[in-house]
Amino acid sequence: MVVYSFYIFDRHAECIYNRRWVPRPSSMIGKSSRPTSETSTTTNTLPPVLGHSARTTDDDAKLIFGTVFSLRNMVRKLGGEDDSFVTYRTSQYKLHYYETPTNIKFVMLTDLKSPSMRVALQQIYINLYVEYVVKNPLSPVEHPGGVGVNNELFEESLEQFVTRVLS
Amino acid sequence: MTVFSLIIINKAGGLVYQREFQPGLRKLSTNDYLVLAGTFHGVHAITRSITPKLPLSTASTAATTPTSSNMPPTPGIPNSFTPGSAFTFPNPGTPATGLECLETDKFRLTCFQTLTGTKFLLFTDPIMGNIDVVMKKVYELYADYVMKNPFYQLEMPVRCEAFDRHLGGWLRGRT
Repeated sequence: MVVYSFYIFDRHAECIYNRRWVPRPSSMIGKSSRPTSETSTTTNTLPPVLGHSARTTDDDAKLIFGTVFSLRNMVRKLGGEDDSFVTYRTSQYKLHYYETPTNIKFVMLTDLKSPSMRVALQQIYINLYVEYVVKNPLSPVEHPGGVGVNNELFEESLEQFVTRVLS
Repeated sequence: MTVFSLIIINKAGGLVYQREFQPGLRKLSTNDYLVLAGTFHGVHAITRSITPKLPLSTASTAATTPTSSNMPPTPGIPNSFTPGSAFTFPNPGTPATGLECLETDKFRLTCFQTLTGTKFLLFTDPIMGNIDVVMKKVYELYADYVMKNPFYQLEMPVRCEAFDRHLGGWLRGRT
């Protein structure tokens, strides 16, 4: 399975962390450029700007928050206050959603073959977010602009979690 | 198998049909259903636009353009001269659609959009399978009893007694 992107939104609807993974370019193009294969692996960790010329990552995060927020409210209206949506899929991708009791929202976009990621998102919250962000004595309580979330330990362990555990 | 309710949204996002078959979901006021239909219509469009775009060759276009500029473009893949717009969807064979299936703890929402833009929303039990069959039948009944009704005005609320009757009868026969 492939993970495309991952977002964390705080209770003020602000995107405090976002991360995109771009799979390696398809093999037929990769073959023509054998010397650059090393650079193509490093692009996985760089924030990709190509392919998104018209809309930035920031705008994407806003759109995703809007979607998730509307769907959550819709589901709560229909299913009751304790209901929450887990995932939705389109013909191209799947979006997984997990909300903590403190209204922090974890969103992950994956390909269609992936199973339910609710447990995975919960693990990211419990094992990574709480451990490296909440328990960090230097981290502020709120994270405007991603301050406190973008620390090395959290990013590195998230990277490991997604590449090793999920694939 | 349980089908909780059916909602039909016209291509402009207006609610044209809403019916509950079995209890299980909360009842909303007519106004709330109208809001829900409009909201869903908007969200559906956004979910299509946030489809992840995979760059065709992030590294190779940047690094190898001088050497491989005489290469023929790969057939079947949208190609462009600006590297920023060369992308592909995760499933290149199928066109990008909006939300098709939403799962929650208590229900599953399946959305089917016809070629003309009408959306059928079916609320079912989360464990129920074969929703495609139900959706197909609903669409068939809609085509037969709503679209073929000479008194039905397009894009207006569906008030066809025959449609109600056959839909109810068919779903009752399945349970």
